[in-house]
Amino acid sequence: MIDTILFLLVDGLTNGLVYALLALSLVLVFAVTRVVNIAQGEYVMLGALTLADLLQGRMPGTLYLLAGGLLLCVLLDAPRWRRDWRRAAVVAIGLILAAAAAIALTRAALALQLPIIGMMAVALILVAPLGVLIYRFTVHPIPNATTIVFVIISVGVSMIMQGLGLLIWGANPYPVDPVAAGGFMLGPVFVAYQSVAILVVALLSMGGLYLFSEFTLLGKALQASAMNRLGAQFCGIPVDLAGGLAFLLAAAFSALSGMLLAPLITANYEMGFMVGLKGFVGAAMGGLVDYPLSLAGVMMVGGLESASAYLASAYRDVLVFSLLVPILLWRNARQRADAR
Amino acid sequence: MRVVAIAAACAALMLSATAFAADKPELRIGSVVAMTGPASALGLPEKNALELLQEQIAADTSLPFTVKFITYDDASDPTKAVNNVRKLITEDNAHVVICCTTTPTSMAILETVTQAKVPNISLALGQSVIEPAKDRYWIFKTPSTDQLQVAALVDDMVKRGIKQVAFLGLEDSFGEGGWVALQAVAKAKGVDIVAAERFARTDTNFTPQALKVRQSNPGAVYIHAIPPSSALVHQALKRVGYTGPIYHSGGSANNAFISIGKKDVDGALLGTTPVLVYTDLPDSNPLKPVITKFASLYEKRFNVPKVDIFPGQSWDAGNIVIEAAKAAVKSGTKLDNVDAARAALRDKIEGTKEFVGVGGIFNYSPTDHLGLDQRSTFISIVKNDEFRLYDAK
Repeated sequence: MIDTILFLLVDGLTNGLVYALLALSLVLVFAVTRVVNIAQGEYVMLGALTLADLLQGRMPGTLYLLAGGLLLCVLLDAPRWRRDWRRAAVVAIGLILAAAAAIALTRAALALQLPIIGMMAVALILVAPLGVLIYRFTVHPIPNATTIVFVIISVGVSMIMQGLGLLIWGANPYPVDPVAAGGFMLGPVFVAYQSVAILVVALLSMGGLYLFSEFTLLGKALQASAMNRLGAQFCGIPVDLAGGLAFLLAAAFSALSGMLLAPLITANYEMGFMVGLKGFVGAAMGGLVDYPLSLAGVMMVGGLESASAYLASAYRDVLVFSLLVPILLWRNARQRADAR
Repeated sequence: MRVVAIAAACAALMLSATAFAADKPELRIGSVVAMTGPASALGLPEKNALELLQEQIAADTSLPFTVKFITYDDASDPTKAVNNVRKLITEDNAHVVICCTTTPTSMAILETVTQAKVPNISLALGQSVIEPAKDRYWIFKTPSTDQLQVAALVDDMVKRGIKQVAFLGLEDSFGEGGWVALQAVAKAKGVDIVAAERFARTDTNFTPQALKVRQSNPGAVYIHAIPPSSALVHQALKRVGYTGPIYHSGGSANNAFISIGKKDVDGALLGTTPVLVYTDLPDSNPLKPVITKFASLYEKRFNVPKVDIFPGQSWDAGNIVIEAAKAAVKSGTKLDNVDAARAALRDKIEGTKEFVGVGGIFNYSPTDHLGLDQRSTFISIVKNDEFRLYDAK
């Protein structure tokens, strides 16, 4: 009995931490840009597949997305050529150089056969900018759209990204090596080192984000835009750039969680969506704005998922998503109490 | 004078050429497979095998007819499948239709072929495509079924004295098929199902289900899923300390299973068709030379390292049709009279006896449109990262 509970607890915690990085991304994006990003889970998929490609010595398909996105940026920039061609030229050359640099970096990494940590860093550099590109294509052109419009757009983005994932990588699952193979016995439970790695990285990411937003000017600007968009704008904070930064960081966190998750479940094109949704259930606990409450939420999701898969495996997803109902009721009650 | 002679010779040649074509009637085999879409991994090899068959037939002058292959893509979409089958029947006047790659598409065209009275050979896994045989008068199929493979596995459990089995399956139509098959077979053979747990392809954790299964204390576990889930569930069972035999469906009989499961899936037992293990078969087995020949042809033509189960299914379907057509023409059927020829071909297909194909030995009958039996079902074991034959029959 005890060992069953321990097993479920260890797994629930591991999954909860993976979802935690997702919830962190969701809260970050929503607070700064008011986008409920359903597509957040797709960065998990991109991170995992990019790492799988790099570890197996292939040029990752993510480069197509990155280079294509940067070129599209140049095209979208076309109207500026008439107004201010010098600046437009500088931007265009910069973007093209960035694409070339990404390809060069990948080639170098493959030639050097970096250790897995190095490959993870390269994958992160390739995937994170995709967040900014998506922001540029979807949110930037319509800064004043309502939340519901952004939700619908993000559903579209999610579908497109999943389709592109299927196109580039196919339906096959790719095995990914863990950061550290093996594990240790915790009483009766075998704990993989990968689970420990997930714990460490999740804690470091959360701590890093906290330090960044409390102690750097950029982080403070991000916080200010989250608290009051208009006010921040009046104070001279480029809110638009803050939105891009939020998408960048969020993509990075999600990609990281994908790279940590992949060794446990392999990397495939459809792995991200469910993880994203479960992170969303957790983040809903914090109303998509409160970091500590979101963390509590994802841990609850991880635990409930583990327990319900044990007790009634056919209903585990039903139970996890039903959690949204009490969470929303509770948030509503709390808000009313606050209003009084 | 010389010019006239050459002209006369040319005319004679042309005459004989047309006469030659005219006395050989044309057999039109229409096929619709999933060359694109989610099932293209199955459909493309099936198309390749038909292409290969066409090339082989073209070289064969001994046939009493010429064969025309017409192949369309259904993009894994039931609606497109129905449209293309209609086109085959009405515009192309196909004598026989080979359709379709998946169970949903094959189910969708049942009505169309039955009404048009055209024999159809399906390449889908699902048993519902051909059962009950009374209502599926025009439908046959070549791939083995879940039930056949599960029966072979449960037989092995009984042989080992295992009385209790636990089921772990995907919670989609594929997993459901396995669940239905296991329930039926286990009941018939007196094996109890002590646990039934479900999971999804996108799950991130399979340990809870594995724990539950271990605690139900089964003599064996049957996993009905495809990689990556099937390999990951296998690993989870090992992780929670389960040490008994683990059986898998044919859905796991591919290289992804081993590359994901690595050392953990060593010793896994899988129900499978002969193609996967033919090299281990004894030389006395009639399937061995047939598969060896097909494999070498296919591997050389399409430059693949090792043939898998899908091309064999359409290859068999095409060959069964050609055998049936030979028999029909011999007994006086005129292929030019399309409606009568279709009915005659159907009867001859149903009369197929002891046809040795790549997927097994076929014996169709009015009550059995699958035609395969236990001689065509094998258990394979994973040994040193390879699928080997588990018990030589």
